[in-house]
Amino acid sequence: MATNPLDRRYALLGAVLIAPTILIFSAVIIYPLVSAIYLSLFTIFTPTLRGQWVGLGNYAELMASNEFWRSLANTFIWTVFTLTLQIVLGIAVALMLHQNMVFRSLARSLILFPYFVSTVVAVLVWRWLFNDLYGILNYLALISGLLQRPLDWLGSMPNAMISIVLVGAWKYFPFVVIAVLARLQSIPDQLYEAAKMDGAGPIARFFDVTLPQLKEVLVVVILLRAIWDFKEFDLIYLLTGGGPVISTQTLPLMVYKEAFGLNDMGRASAIAVSMMLVMLVFMVLYLRSAGRSEREGAR
Amino acid sequence: MSDIVFSGVRKAFGSAIALHGLDLTIRSGEFVSLLGPSGCGKTTTLRMLAGLEFPTQGTISIGSRVVNDVPPGKRDIAMVFQSYALYPHMSVAENIAYPLKKRGMPRAERETRVKAAAETLQLGALLQRKPRQLSGGQQQRVALGRALVRDPVAFLLDEPLSNLDAKLRAHMRAELIELHRSLGKTFVYVTHDQLEAMTMSDRIAVMNEGVLQQFATPKEVYEAPANTFVATFIGSPSMNMFEGALADGVFSHPALRVPVTPEASGHGSRLLLGVRPEDMTLGAGPLNGTIRVVEPSGHETIVLLDFAGTTVTVRAPPDMPLGIGSVLACDVKSSRLHLFDAVSGLRIAARFGAALPPA
Repeated sequence: MATNPLDRRYALLGAVLIAPTILIFSAVIIYPLVSAIYLSLFTIFTPTLRGQWVGLGNYAELMASNEFWRSLANTFIWTVFTLTLQIVLGIAVALMLHQNMVFRSLARSLILFPYFVSTVVAVLVWRWLFNDLYGILNYLALISGLLQRPLDWLGSMPNAMISIVLVGAWKYFPFVVIAVLARLQSIPDQLYEAAKMDGAGPIARFFDVTLPQLKEVLVVVILLRAIWDFKEFDLIYLLTGGGPVISTQTLPLMVYKEAFGLNDMGRASAIAVSMMLVMLVFMVLYLRSAGRSEREGAR
Repeated sequence: MSDIVFSGVRKAFGSAIALHGLDLTIRSGEFVSLLGPSGCGKTTTLRMLAGLEFPTQGTISIGSRVVNDVPPGKRDIAMVFQSYALYPHMSVAENIAYPLKKRGMPRAERETRVKAAAETLQLGALLQRKPRQLSGGQQQRVALGRALVRDPVAFLLDEPLSNLDAKLRAHMRAELIELHRSLGKTFVYVTHDQLEAMTMSDRIAVMNEGVLQQFATPKEVYEAPANTFVATFIGSPSMNMFEGALADGVFSHPALRVPVTPEASGHGSRLLLGVRPEDMTLGAGPLNGTIRVVEPSGHETIVLLDFAGTTVTVRAPPDMPLGIGSVLACDVKSSRLHLFDAVSGLRIAARFGAALPPA
């Protein structure tokens, strides 16, 4: 322990310096978290925030609710497909941008564009592109003969799910590009040259040199993007609103609907808490992988 | 036989010329060093032989086959990189087996070969380790293992010892000499370290600014350097040069005169007389130098002398009393002098007489 008076004063200074962060963290993270768990034990009428204690009743209802399971399934479908596309597209584009090509720096900045555009703006543009009467997608498909009749991109299944998955991939793949490109630039050229001498062709070089070197960054990117995609709200809400009916309704949309559409804050909180439990799994995986790479870095 | 032949090989990177027409024949089984300062074209030469760069002009052949258009993996040569370039996610065994795997060798045969290579290089106990768990010298050995497991026609080594500490470097030098002798394969070794080149090579190709300066045995390169670049680049401390003129069969410099009989004519009138630091005797003789700097190193003392404005480095015995500013009488070993044309820098074959006092 700090027995020296100077040590004690340093310790005190440390506590004082860290206090504002702790306070803000408590106000914006701990308080809402605890209060969500607390609210989930009541039936609460949103406008008045008053209601009755029901214990685990909300959770029991959720377990018996088809809509909850359907939304959970939708969340997984959306996350898995859009994330897979983001990763594949992200790696492919990063590999492309890593090559020596004309306008490389221009291309590198342009590729980040979808990530920087506000979701509302991006979704509005996509809704026009997808529009079944005036949309350019249908127009092009019709004149090129790909389609005989206009397609309802957002109003029918499975089109609506495919559409949000595609827009999600388009919007978020630049994140993967940035992370992968940064890693690609740090892979030593001599490894590729050694592989060439060893008789490895371009495909073998990708799988034996590039991919193993990308593994660490990909683990982090996949976990982070999985967490972010899992809780994605605005993109889906603005694009389909969860429809048709609840075909593209993910858990965050269901939370919103319960809380502000059906005015049942208690049920909404119960869904949010269940969602958090699922994401906790990702978080634990993320922390473990971060911890592991730190230990390896220290070695 | 699989001689390696460069004929008229030029290499330009844009407007920068890395190599101006190289003609070089490396005999099968020979240990050849490409030696020169950085930017001399030695690494470019090696990389072209490896197939990692392509000649702008000229042909490179291995055995009877011109390899200009042969990809690196199909040239039957192996390379050891300066940074070792081990695959970090693979174990030592997997690293060594990789080139065999890419050539479609069956697993059983692969394992036998890896085991044999590991035995040669004393890596047996490390086969399951990852490269980052190895020391620099061990990583170096794995890189060698990955090369020799293929049983290639030639080994290319790009400054393989430069990342090791001095002690380990001396040790690996000896190991490389033994390895070369036991394998009997061609080694092409790039280095900027003359000690490595001198100690290991059968022949040294000294290069400077993209031009081959001399290609000869270490002894010949040291005793009969082809020009002033080779003369001053090889040897440490480097050769001393006295600039002077030849008149009536005597080379004259303000501080020394030496009778010279050139064996050929056609040289210019300005000449350089070269004397290696160990080829001067101290304590007696017709020449007088003023002591400027004394650098004792234990087993010998390096002394910088001033000879009428020319600074000369000599080796002195460790116990010799040397006072800075005092005058030291010395002599040159006339059988070990070198003569160069001061303008072209080329060696002039000549016989020398005993040094005379300055006029």
